[in-house]
Amino acid sequence: MTSPTLHSVGRSTGFVALDFRAKAAIFVAASCLAILWDDVRFTVGLALIVLAGCRAAGISGSYLAFVLRVMSPFFVLLLGTHGFFNQQYVLRLTGQEQLTALIAVPEPWWVVGGMVLSKEGLLYGATAVGKSLTFLLLVPLCVFTTDPNQWVVGLVRLRIPFKFAFLISSTLRFFPLIFDEIQAVRETQRLRGFALETMGPLERVRTYGRIAVPVILSAMHKAQQIEVVLQSRAFSGRSDRTYLHSPELGAAGWITIVLSAAAVVAAVIVELTTGLGRFVTL
Amino acid sequence: MPVPLVSFRQVSYEYPRSERPALLDVDLDIRAGEIVGLTGATGSGKTTLCLALNGTVPQFFGGRFYGRLLVEGRDTLDHPIHEQAAGVALVLQDPSAQLIAATVEQEIAFALENLRVPRAEIVLRIETALAAVGLSALRARHPHTLSGGQQQRLALAAAFATRPRLMVLDEPTSQLDPRSALGVFALIRELNAQYGIAFLITGHAPEEMAATVQRLVVLAGGRVVADAPPEDVYRDLPLLSRNSIRPPGVTVTFAQLAERGATRLAPPIRLEVGLEQIKHLPAPRPFDPPVATPAQSGVPILSLDRVSHVYADGTRALTDLTLEVHRRDYLAVLGQNGAGKSTLLRHFLHLLQPTEGSVRIDGALLATYSAPELAQRVGYVPQNPDRQLFNATVEAEVGFSLRVLSLPPGERERRIHTVLDSLGLLPLRHRHPFSLSRGDRARVVIAAVLALEPEILVFDEPTTGQDDEGARAILDLTRRLNQEGRTVILVTHHLSLLPGYANRAILLRGGRLVLDASLRTAFHDLEALASTDLQPTHAVALARAADDRLRTFTPEELAGLYGAHPTSQGSTP
Repeated sequence: MTSPTLHSVGRSTGFVALDFRAKAAIFVAASCLAILWDDVRFTVGLALIVLAGCRAAGISGSYLAFVLRVMSPFFVLLLGTHGFFNQQYVLRLTGQEQLTALIAVPEPWWVVGGMVLSKEGLLYGATAVGKSLTFLLLVPLCVFTTDPNQWVVGLVRLRIPFKFAFLISSTLRFFPLIFDEIQAVRETQRLRGFALETMGPLERVRTYGRIAVPVILSAMHKAQQIEVVLQSRAFSGRSDRTYLHSPELGAAGWITIVLSAAAVVAAVIVELTTGLGRFVTL
Repeated sequence: MPVPLVSFRQVSYEYPRSERPALLDVDLDIRAGEIVGLTGATGSGKTTLCLALNGTVPQFFGGRFYGRLLVEGRDTLDHPIHEQAAGVALVLQDPSAQLIAATVEQEIAFALENLRVPRAEIVLRIETALAAVGLSALRARHPHTLSGGQQQRLALAAAFATRPRLMVLDEPTSQLDPRSALGVFALIRELNAQYGIAFLITGHAPEEMAATVQRLVVLAGGRVVADAPPEDVYRDLPLLSRNSIRPPGVTVTFAQLAERGATRLAPPIRLEVGLEQIKHLPAPRPFDPPVATPAQSGVPILSLDRVSHVYADGTRALTDLTLEVHRRDYLAVLGQNGAGKSTLLRHFLHLLQPTEGSVRIDGALLATYSAPELAQRVGYVPQNPDRQLFNATVEAEVGFSLRVLSLPPGERERRIHTVLDSLGLLPLRHRHPFSLSRGDRARVVIAAVLALEPEILVFDEPTTGQDDEGARAILDLTRRLNQEGRTVILVTHHLSLLPGYANRAILLRGGRLVLDASLRTAFHDLEALASTDLQPTHAVALARAADDRLRTFTPEELAGLYGAHPTSQGSTP
């Protein structure tokens, strides 16, 4: 059996080789843009760019498809809630007095009667989907392409205390262990006749509760083993160490950081001066 | 006399909240450049002793530590663990659990970086370490994509690169297939010879230990009960028996020959010596193996028809595999890692579906069974029993399996009682499963599986990590279940344990079926074994050296052909 790892990029790409601080700059800049913009074309476009970046960085299409599949109910919920209910906020954004109705539920209908799906609300829902997707995809883009040890080194160079950096690195190692254990235990439980997919919600929760016992015990055992291994290999938490591949930023790293910062500054200036990036009704 | 590299002086240790000491009054020296083996029953304190050597015990675990342990003249209590890593390198038994970097070369560099070795020196040491373990071509690979044997070699390389005076290897081959295990021991001998590194190796691999170590230490209940050259320890069969240690097959065979007066020589511990000695004994009597029971006719209980499996990444794991398993078969599935054993097993359990071909139970497609239905036909005991334990008591654990069945009142309790009683678990029924020994935990999982009364039982490497007594106890149980009418399928690397248990073996190589025969025929098909890099057992190798026509496959059978009194011949076909 192999141990699971968050570093799941199967091939070495230029992005993988990029210093963690440069990736952090991309993370921060893209997050700022996602927060700043309310124009659906910009937010969805940004999400698509990050998605393309994930693929270019070597993150598997199946993983990205999985994320989209799992999140799609949430996205539908976002579209629905904003489309039907977020009227006051969207009215403020548009400066209009009334929203454009796309669908109006007949009054006599039970509970939902009288509800209106607005075009502007739906557009803002799509904006929210773009923002969420950007945040969601930035995590694998920066985490999956970075070895946990590089996280530590990068964070230390950012003057984060080493102990804290080590804690983050350990956490990154720990979570995949738990997911691996859950999968293994679910599989073995299935072989004892428990098919979770056929259970009711309550029974499923109970079964998951029971699964937690071996999962946590086993994951803790493995985490403890990793801790022993790290210390046995002279890992002390001290910053004064040498590096095989010195995590110098290099030209590519500096360019990335400067461009990321410039993109945010430019977007803010453009938004303030021209309004580009603000919510539009199309 | 030079100062020893390692010096235990009256060392005792208790883990926190433990009721008994893990180490007790240990006095032990290891000299520079020495290879020392450490063996003993499960729970005898081997791992604790290893962890004490770099201060992990007691610094990491806490507990109470008495006595003095000096490594290179320094007290292990006076220096933090990471400082001691420069002199003592520790390699744990699960190779995959100790790999922490993204590439092979970064894995080796990690400890060197922590030890503040200059970059240029790191590069040099990586080159040397990779060349020493034969992984130079894989330097850019992710460690988790390597095979188990390659991972263990990488762990050894990472340890070796720190230029330690002592390498401590805790069961370094217990999770490896025979070919990889041989490779690791050969590497240990080479590193010792070339670089003068001392080794402390724990494990239950007597054949490899005998060929490698210069001294063998036996631990029992945390105490050193023997510390002598391996010849002396492995020839002391009562000592081995008391401590649940399996002797090398060649030693057992020659001990039995000596008992029959066929030889006066002290039993050898290395096969090559035995092969030479047996040629000088008088010719053995002819041997007529018992007639193999003919395969049962009728619908097989489990069948694979031209099954192939290709994983999503394009890896072809099984190719055109056709197999019929009949009721009451006891089938051993053999092959190296990567041969397709696990993939085959997962098809039996419907965890994988064939990309071509079909799998059937009693003629019905396996895919038509629901999970509860399948659990009542095929019971699965995984290598790690802990993954199937999630209840607060043994009784609840066994009863939990029955919740998927609609049983009449009283039937549930009757089944629980019957199963617990049959496995000797009644006295433990109120204990928490995790409070039991590994062997007992395995029995609890078997009990939980048996409660569903499956006809087919699949065991995945049940003897891994078990000492001799533990392994025998589990195999005895599988034999009993088979004799009671169940079909048993067992995957194992431990060929020498199989005679007397399995009646049939299949041999896989690269996802293809190489051999499907009675166990005796399989053990003597040297060509098929060689084609999969499996070594014949000592008993088989000695039989063939004595007379190429001999088809004995246990030490008892072979010894029975010598001396004045013929004994009853083996009963396993």
